[in-house]
Amino acid sequence: MLLSRTADSLYWGARYLERAEDTARLVRSYTELVIDLPTSAVSTWEPLLAVSGSSESFHQLHEVDSGSAEVPIVRFLLADTHHPASIASSVEQARENLRTTREIIPREAWQTVNDLYLYVGSNASSGVERRSRARFLGHLIAECQQLDGVLTTVMNRDEAYELWRLGQSIERADMTTRVVGVRAAALLFAEQQAARDGEAMADIHDDVQWMGLLRSVSALQMYQRATRGPIDGAAAVRFLLLDAAFPRSVASCASRIREALSRLPRSMRTLPAVDELDAVLARSTTGGDDGAALDAAMDEVQLALAAVNDVVHDAFVQSSV
Amino acid sequence: MTVAHVRTQGATWDELLTPEGTPRPAARQLLDQLAALEHSELQERQTLAELDILTMGITFTVYSDGRGIDRAWPFDIIPRVIAASEWRRVEAGLVQRLRAINMFVDDLYHDQRIVADGVFPAELLERSKNFRPECVGASPAHGVWAHISGSDLVRDASGTMYVLEDNLRVPSGVSYVLENRAISKRVFADLFAKQSIMPVDSYTDELNRMLVSLAPDGIANPTIAVLTPGIYNSAYFEHSFLAQRMGAVLVEGADLVVADDECLYMRTIGGLERVHVVYRRIDDEFLDPEAFRPDSMLGVPGLMRAWRAGNVAIANAPGAGVADDKVVYAWVPDIIRYYLGEEPLIPNVPTYRCLYDDERRFVIEHIDELVVKPANESGGYGLLIGDRATRSELDAHIALIEADPRNWVAQPILSLSTVPTLCDGEIEPRHVDLRPFILSGRHSYVTAGGLTRVALRKGSLVVNSSQGGGSKDTWIVEDE
Repeated sequence: MLLSRTADSLYWGARYLERAEDTARLVRSYTELVIDLPTSAVSTWEPLLAVSGSSESFHQLHEVDSGSAEVPIVRFLLADTHHPASIASSVEQARENLRTTREIIPREAWQTVNDLYLYVGSNASSGVERRSRARFLGHLIAECQQLDGVLTTVMNRDEAYELWRLGQSIERADMTTRVVGVRAAALLFAEQQAARDGEAMADIHDDVQWMGLLRSVSALQMYQRATRGPIDGAAAVRFLLLDAAFPRSVASCASRIREALSRLPRSMRTLPAVDELDAVLARSTTGGDDGAALDAAMDEVQLALAAVNDVVHDAFVQSSV
Repeated sequence: MTVAHVRTQGATWDELLTPEGTPRPAARQLLDQLAALEHSELQERQTLAELDILTMGITFTVYSDGRGIDRAWPFDIIPRVIAASEWRRVEAGLVQRLRAINMFVDDLYHDQRIVADGVFPAELLERSKNFRPECVGASPAHGVWAHISGSDLVRDASGTMYVLEDNLRVPSGVSYVLENRAISKRVFADLFAKQSIMPVDSYTDELNRMLVSLAPDGIANPTIAVLTPGIYNSAYFEHSFLAQRMGAVLVEGADLVVADDECLYMRTIGGLERVHVVYRRIDDEFLDPEAFRPDSMLGVPGLMRAWRAGNVAIANAPGAGVADDKVVYAWVPDIIRYYLGEEPLIPNVPTYRCLYDDERRFVIEHIDELVVKPANESGGYGLLIGDRATRSELDAHIALIEADPRNWVAQPILSLSTVPTLCDGEIEPRHVDLRPFILSGRHSYVTAGGLTRVALRKGSLVVNSSQGGGSKDTWIVEDE
């Protein structure tokens, strides 16, 4: 038995925490990437905004040229409490949602969320500095992982647990889709361009870029284990979208979404949205190396995820009102 | 840290120390331990306890500028100690008191024998704000209306323990009794191993059992819901805590609905599910907009119908607050004698009732020596301490009393007992009260000790956490 209101809070609590963790991974890997690239290469921090869907809101508030944008952009994504998608806001939202579910989630889990909230409150601005950034983000990711560990090892496999997994998987799939849609599409596009103009591939630091991209969803090592070859753009995209063995791939998330919804009430009503997600995902890589086609395909996957979100809301929150 | 630092104040009873500065027997082990600690060690334990409170998220909510702020719960590590032999008498006195009060409430909503017999004045009943005509004739299980109550106890300079007031509506604080103990077990782990300190943890189990005993139609495995006004309520932490410890569902009014069959349901992800027992933490007036305040957003339309039809139990029962009133309080000793034919085991603080001309005249003449209290406010609001008020404050209160005598009582200014307390690095005596919690259902249960509230400001008698009070763990120590 789970109250509709509580279900909503758990679902959003899980989504916000996953968002915070994913943003941390994204910023961490991007920082490493920029450090790796020679200074002659153009380093722009704009892709971070694009992936997290914050370009517009950032540029409404800030006027910066791309050369000096690192600090304002990173602060916007990490510490700006007025920016609803920042890590600080996500963690606060997660805590507010989970504060109303304290009787549901294990006590240790609540304490972890509370710790995380206190930690982010007092350390987020130091995380903006490049030299303390890795430590801040690493700590945040570790706390999120600890929470996941607590839930996995001590929480009953009941409706509350499934709602949690559901929110987490939808958010995770959403983030992987954005990374592929924005950065992979841009890289493929740049490769096409380079091939057309006859430039040497090395000039765009292709491998380093693809490694950074895989790292941003913590996929690099697993990709290398699975493919055992040099990094190939199209293969990396397929891995991130379709690999059934990699837990952060969109296909893995979709299968956990299906699993959770099958164990929750009203699955007759909710599962068709997952069928649609699977279908959209299956045809998402048919465009091959074409960056524009991939970008469009990711938009479609995002719409399918939004449809799952809507059907979850209708079935569990709206229908009992 | 030597206890010699801890001087008691002349005309005040100290809970841990005799007037000569030697430990009271039940507190000896504690004081020995304190004496063995360096000043810095003690301060470090206090700091660690505060850190635990912060990371465990033990909070209460205060209101400031129209918004609720989640504050860390104020806790002092030095416990208050009571000998078990004394506590057993207090316990018996509280059970006696609540038995009589419940009989009184049940009588008021049925035959009103106590009024007919001239023991309780009819005019008080007529003017009572908390008498609910909607409850007349209702018969909750076991004849019990106040299932969960908290009576505030104070001790004066002579060492006598008095009941200061009875909280029968939605008393709060019990979660902090349990949390304080959890913290204090870490702070003084060794002392818990060495002596027999009565555990407090079974409260939530007892509460659960009591609520089950109220279920309609003797359902053995009822669904219990804790009804909270929501996250912005000052006691939300407690509502959540109790639901969690009982495995009950924490609900808000909007989660509940009374269907055409006059049963209560909650909205779940699988549809409507029946609720059998509601432990409500919202006031009568907000329970049901059909029956009480029509603008209430916190309650459930039709809840009173479902209750009167016997389809759901509500704890505390609607209307129980009729006996939670500082004027009715003054009659409790008579109420005990009337229903039980026994003398009260714990005395009331002597109370002057402004309803009566002679007592009112006395209050007005001696107002600077008395504590004056409105009948229906909680949290220390509207209270006047005579010897600390200015002349114009006194005159303002006299005008209020004359305008509405029934609403006012007055009591002598008690010198509340003290407990040594860590204040800015020094140990100093601070005034305390004690709120034990009493459960009444098929059986009765009293918490082992209760919530000791402490006025952290020097000389202050106001212990409410909303007004700068703190708390201490309360140890009932086996002394025989």
